[in-house]
Amino acid sequence: MIEWSVLLAWIVKATVIYLGLVNVGALMTLAERKFSAWMQYRIGPNRVGPFGLLQPLADGVKFIFKEELMPAGANKMLFRFAPVIAALPSMMTIAVIPFTTKDVVLGGWNIGTFSIVNLDIGVLYILALGGLSVYGLIIGGWASNSKYSLLGGLRASAQMISYELTLILTILAVVVMAGSLDLQQIALSQNKVTDWNIWYQPLAFLMFVVATFAETNRHPFDFAECEPELVAGFHTEYSSMKFALFFIGEYSAMTVMACLTTTLFLGGPSVPFLEDPHWALQIAAFLAKAGFFLFLFIWVRWTLPRFRFDQLMALGWKVFLPLALLNLLATGVVKSLV
Amino acid sequence: MANALFYLMAAGAVAAALGVVLAKSPIQCVLSLLASFFCLATIYLLAGFQFLAAAQILVYAGAIMVLFLFVIMLLNLGNPSSKDGAEDGLFRRKGAFLSVIVAAATMAAGAMAVTADGLAPATQPMPEHGIDTINGLAGEMFGRYLLPFEAISILLLATAVAVVVLAKRDRKDAGKGS
Repeated sequence: MIEWSVLLAWIVKATVIYLGLVNVGALMTLAERKFSAWMQYRIGPNRVGPFGLLQPLADGVKFIFKEELMPAGANKMLFRFAPVIAALPSMMTIAVIPFTTKDVVLGGWNIGTFSIVNLDIGVLYILALGGLSVYGLIIGGWASNSKYSLLGGLRASAQMISYELTLILTILAVVVMAGSLDLQQIALSQNKVTDWNIWYQPLAFLMFVVATFAETNRHPFDFAECEPELVAGFHTEYSSMKFALFFIGEYSAMTVMACLTTTLFLGGPSVPFLEDPHWALQIAAFLAKAGFFLFLFIWVRWTLPRFRFDQLMALGWKVFLPLALLNLLATGVVKSLV
Repeated sequence: MANALFYLMAAGAVAAALGVVLAKSPIQCVLSLLASFFCLATIYLLAGFQFLAAAQILVYAGAIMVLFLFVIMLLNLGNPSSKDGAEDGLFRRKGAFLSVIVAAATMAAGAMAVTADGLAPATQPMPEHGIDTINGLAGEMFGRYLLPFEAISILLLATAVAVVVLAKRDRKDAGKGS
């Protein structure tokens, strides 16, 4: 049997990480509105709580009390199920993110490294589950029985499949560098700031970040929603908490992608110029790096105009895919020579 | 608990597989197949094959089935309409007949393989580091099984090229015809 202290450690870590994920999602909705307001010389939400900090709470209450609409001719079961499929996979993927490489010790109680599980195939686990959230978008779009929703769902599936290739190939370059699929090992291999993969794989880093934008359907690639053409895309017909679940899914996916970028390219929990930092410092460093990428999502959204869908496809298939393949080939050749 | 989970997942896989052939709407067929893949992946996990489980989800559920769903939605295949019911019934009878034959053949082949070697898979000596770790798997795949692996790669590549050629020819013909 599993020892009680180990089980308790798991429960503590899982609770903290999942609550953190959901709260980051809620805070991101606020941050999105605040930053967009500042970028557009507005004030933004400032009525609920100090500086509008309790706005997400008010939004949540409002979502719960809104009427749940069911479009005529919708496939009822799938319509209800789709938001869950959209939200669940991205929330599950946070389990393998290593927030520390050192064991966390709370008053003499060692609860291991601060990640829920440590899989040999951590990278594959994230890719496998992360690729599933597209089903929520497709099924939601189809089950709504609305042409805008269907088009949004179709676009989402085409886009996410195309950019998954880039994502996988750029990650593979990092895997070749570290020689492991274990995220913990990948983080450990970049312990010093000079070992960070961003210095050795700048091209892969760039393509990976762009691909995460496409994978999470964020601006400038948010063709699944694309309000000037498709009203609101795949979630046009959704209301109330079902709509909120789509949002939670999107923000969880963004958070996981930010964490993954940090782990793969910025050394994860490694602290610059410190050989052996305290675990709390490691968590702080990790959150700071991931926070930057989360901010990048917002920053880009309110800075760049939207692409056209054919431009997105051309970029993915004609530019990124060959470049990522070449990059992987070059990485392999150099790695085998050195 | 692992046993209970296995039986649950095995039953789920069979039920979902039945759903694939019995469901009326193509979308439900696809989703049943997806459920079946998940049950299978869980069984792989229970058997300790992490990589296989992840690959199952990543390749089949994450990529191939999305394309299936994409095509079905694009063609907007709804429920089969009642007016071509006779044709549909014939198609179903043929389909059922074929699937019974295929299932029987598969089972016979499996049974023959087991009896010919006279061993169950579990008694076969595993590679010393186990096949499940990525290193072990890669070692086997690019060592002992390099030739079959390359042959399959070439086969898949040839299939991909052939599909592109066939699709292109169709498009050209359609252009001329209309």
